Amino acid sequence: MTAWEKSRARAAPWFLLPALALLAVFVVWPMVRAAAWSFTSADLLAPERAHWLGAANYSELLTDARFRRAFGNTALFALMVVPVQTVVAFFLALWVNRPEPAWRWLRAVFFIPVIVSTPVLAVLWTLLYQPAQGEQMGLINAMVQAIGVPPQAWLRDPHLALPAIAFMSVWQGVGLQMMVFLAGLQAVPGELLEAARIDGAGAWGRVRHVIIPSVRNTIVFVVTVTTVLAFRIFVQPYLMTRGGPGRSTLSLIQSIYETTFLGQDLGRACAASFLFLIWVAFLTLLQRWIAGEERG
Amino acid sequence: MKAPSSNVQAPGFARNRALGRAAVKWLVSVAVALVFLAPLLWMVRASFTEEPRIFLPGFGGWFDGWTVGNYADAWRRAGLGRGLANSALQVAIIAGAGLIVNAMAAYAFARFVFRGRDVLFAGVVILIVLPIEVLAVPLFFTARDLGLTGGFGAAMAGLSVPFVAKAFNIYFLRQHFLSLPMELEEAAAIDGAGVWRQFWTLALPAVKPALATVVLLDVLTHWGDFLWPLMISTRAETRTVQLSLANLFTQPPLQWGDILACAVLATLPVMLLFRFFQRHIVATEARAGIK
Repeated sequence: MTAWEKSRARAAPWFLLPALALLAVFVVWPMVRAAAWSFTSADLLAPERAHWLGAANYSELLTDARFRRAFGNTALFALMVVPVQTVVAFFLALWVNRPEPAWRWLRAVFFIPVIVSTPVLAVLWTLLYQPAQGEQMGLINAMVQAIGVPPQAWLRDPHLALPAIAFMSVWQGVGLQMMVFLAGLQAVPGELLEAARIDGAGAWGRVRHVIIPSVRNTIVFVVTVTTVLAFRIFVQPYLMTRGGPGRSTLSLIQSIYETTFLGQDLGRACAASFLFLIWVAFLTLLQRWIAGEERG
Repeated sequence: MKAPSSNVQAPGFARNRALGRAAVKWLVSVAVALVFLAPLLWMVRASFTEEPRIFLPGFGGWFDGWTVGNYADAWRRAGLGRGLANSALQVAIIAGAGLIVNAMAAYAFARFVFRGRDVLFAGVVILIVLPIEVLAVPLFFTARDLGLTGGFGAAMAGLSVPFVAKAFNIYFLRQHFLSLPMELEEAAAIDGAGVWRQFWTLALPAVKPALATVVLLDVLTHWGDFLWPLMISTRAETRTVQLSLANLFTQPPLQWGDILACAVLATLPVMLLFRFFQRHIVATEARAGIK
């Protein structure tokens, strides 16, 4: 090690300390505490006075009707959002992947909902979904009526509420995934596209045989990230339907939040948080594994 | 991309076909753009509309019943000045302090050689995937134990301090420091500049676009925070703008015009900021995401 390197090594702790101390206090420590609480009877008001329960919180969660419903809703939401959003984002990216400035504007338009905060969009879409009352109705009902479909009570119908929120979420998030696909499309080799064209491949053939294989890792990334984001759904159902009607839009996060602050069952809430965390970690590893396989 | 033109057709025909194609592209693009813009345009128009007319269907009479009264009402009823100022303070602390703290750590991981570096960095990378929603409950207790709830100063700290250090930002900035040529700092060292000055006056300015990206991402993320403020800011004077909006939205009497005016005002600051930063960002952000 040269003297110069040594002086830099001495400075390292001072450069690292602020960030690592904050991460330790506000990320690692809460996680460790949650892990410990998840095996106890800790309650909201006095978490210190808890006794050891072993894995009881976990096993009870797996049979708890409310938690299972919340998990089912969230999984169903992900099943609706992830495929649609990925496919739409992919084709939007193909559509706007042109150099002229006008297309840059269009890209910005698709990105605008990503910038608007989620509570604002939740409120706005509640109004857009307003059911018909006499002559008055929300924009969505006015539009479906224009194409001959009768107005619906979108957010008050147990069968429509979750799909309605899923539709809004795709609209909100697709611009971000489109940007990721746009970056991925830069990696498609132009010569391959040209060769395919000379071989007589049509637009669809080029997409299938050249573009999709080239952006395979981007697709894997988008699918896993969208899945994680879908499982984090909370604000939209919380503000738009309060988890109802019935429990039809109750999300995992809302159920954890209510277990803590209404049920005051901190141990159970922490166990649920941990199951969630394991699921996210699993998805991330899965993405690494699938994406890594191609390289290796 | 230029389509290979066939020699058989007359040039005029080919030009007409190209024009036709361009027209179809335009029409489809405008239609798709409207799907994304219509809800927001409706929000802006309705926020300037008298209450009884907001939900009238049909697109005639767009200019009937215009008013700015909703804005005055919303400002007064929701205490919007307070909410906007609190949100601005929250994101300013997160983005400002975060910029320095995360850049320092990123620089150390990129440039310094010390024992345990790779293990520490791997630990930071693992933290990237943790969703805040999952940590919110235990984090609430940590914040409470540290006295970061309650009065104005405490709640403002509670809203911001836990999110200053961010694993993703450290990872992202490290990538950018790694791509700088080492000669920059070596030359400065020969001229007698210490480590801190090399970082502050050379390395940091050299990664400005990356800094702009993390600042914008922090602002966008935390401007929209809802769950955490809901837990931390329990008093009216510590409310963020999103909580003001939610309050108008959930507490009767429901005035849709006021709610929409509030929504527009909550959106305006981030829109302006994005317009300002946009040029630096989107491409880098998307590319970094894939790795």
